[in-house]
Amino acid sequence: MTVGAPGRMNRSVFVVVPIFNEGPVIESTLKPLIARGYSVVAVDDASDDDTWSVVRTLPVYSLRHAINLGQGAALQTGMTFALGKGARFIVHFDADGQHNPDDIDVLLEPLRKGQADVALGSRFIREVDRRAVPRTKRLLLRAGRVVNGILTGLWLSDAHNGFRAFTREAAAKIDLRENRFAHATEILTQIRGARLRFAERPTAILYTKRSVAKGQSMWNSIKIVFDILLRRIFR
Amino acid sequence: MRPVQFILIVLLGLVTYFYFSRLRSGLLDRLIVLLFAALGVAMTIVPDFTTRVANLVGVGRGVDLFFYLSIIALAFMCLLLYSRMRRLESSITELTRALAIKKATAPDNPDEPKS
Repeated sequence: MTVGAPGRMNRSVFVVVPIFNEGPVIESTLKPLIARGYSVVAVDDASDDDTWSVVRTLPVYSLRHAINLGQGAALQTGMTFALGKGARFIVHFDADGQHNPDDIDVLLEPLRKGQADVALGSRFIREVDRRAVPRTKRLLLRAGRVVNGILTGLWLSDAHNGFRAFTREAAAKIDLRENRFAHATEILTQIRGARLRFAERPTAILYTKRSVAKGQSMWNSIKIVFDILLRRIFR
Repeated sequence: MRPVQFILIVLLGLVTYFYFSRLRSGLLDRLIVLLFAALGVAMTIVPDFTTRVANLVGVGRGVDLFFYLSIIALAFMCLLLYSRMRRLESSITELTRALAIKKATAPDNPDEPKS
């Protein structure tokens, strides 16, 4: 691997990629991150395809859950690990290739300048990103925005964007206990609870057939809300 | 004795038998189960007794009162099981996480110490 100036700087940036059954695409998702010199933490959430055999041959930190726990749990495993490795910044990055690696710098900018502790990606800041979101998905996300706002008190432009960046100090204050997809809302609750300063930054989303099929459906959204409400009662 | 009384008592006996033969539990638990089983048999044999209790609280039939109470008990049990399940889930998560971190492999990179 080349060790350039940006590579050295990026090494303290730990990009956590939770992975479940992404065998066909995982290499093309991870390679650009490796090339930019980031410390990549690939967390395989007990995939039953060839994901693990691909991941472990790549120059990344490879972790594997013995049993499938969900995306939230995989993210927390990656964050705990990255903090143990002395990460300066921690980035959440989706495994299906729908995030643009170039946007990592966009997210890190407010953190590096000390303007925010957490940066959240948003598909609804730039018109071009907004247009890329399928229409039904747009409606769903708009509803999700309201639900999130009411539940967490954090009113964001994008309800369920998996692209996030944390300073080390901020990441240490996040403790995800929602193993499945309700973690996205849980993160917001914890950001608010810990009084972290956050910023939204425009990030592009590349919708592929694969990522849309695996993405959140209406039914999933209802289950997420249910998870959140139950957690309110059983904390 | 009506046939239904016979059936109910047999079923109750079976449940109690299974509890004692399959589940290891403390003396107190066993006593409580035995007490409830005896109470169940008594209520089956003398249904008029439950009806009298029901009348006291303004319910027409003993069966109805029992039915209302059962629903509440069932809901309570569901909640108990659910919270226990969540606790179980979070212990499994902790275990799985600790194991994954322990067995993590470092990138093949001379700059980075292997873990």
